[in-house]
Amino acid sequence: MKFPYAVFPALPDAAFPNRRSVARPIVSVLLQKDGLSLSCYALIDSGADVCTFPASFAAQLGIAIPNPKTYVFSGTADQPQTAYFENVQATIWNRNTSEKPITFDLYAGFCDTLEHVGLGLLGQDGFFSRFKISMDRANTVFEVTPA
Amino acid sequence: MSPLDLTTVLKDAPIGEWIALSSDQEHIVATAKNLSDAVKAAKEKGEEHPVVMKVPPVSALIL
Repeated sequence: MKFPYAVFPALPDAAFPNRRSVARPIVSVLLQKDGLSLSCYALIDSGADVCTFPASFAAQLGIAIPNPKTYVFSGTADQPQTAYFENVQATIWNRNTSEKPITFDLYAGFCDTLEHVGLGLLGQDGFFSRFKISMDRANTVFEVTPA
Repeated sequence: MSPLDLTTVLKDAPIGEWIALSSDQEHIVATAKNLSDAVKAAKEKGEEHPVVMKVPPVSALIL
């Protein structure tokens, strides 16, 4: 299934004086758990080891955190971060095509440090491990194909 | 395939707040300081399947 990049507004700054927008490989994701659901966006992030979402998403899905399934990781900040994992069902789709949505089981982490980002990260374990991902940034398109 | 242009829908969105978009992702249904309030407000307005996100600062990139 092919997806378009999403274009976000951006302000020019000293480093990028001509920038007015930023294109990112983002998909719409429906997360489901025991009859509860939440639709959100997630960034296709080859640099992320796992798949994580903001902690507040857990409450919407009826997932109690903290839980014992902890994962401590680091990002660009020097402080360790903790995600709490749970099994959910994820569905990705492109609303502009008639292709059937892709639904898969996902062991997803939920962490406070993604609250300020407000979207999920689909990383190596659970997403890239399951799908062939082809990025075509020049044409602002990427493709997700079951491996 | 054209990019999903969020610049228009985010143009006047409150930075740092949660927004609930219509299921077609064309317009903002509700905004709130926290996610649960945004979802609740959207559903009260009849949008049963909003797509939620937090409005990013326009000068920040996701690393």
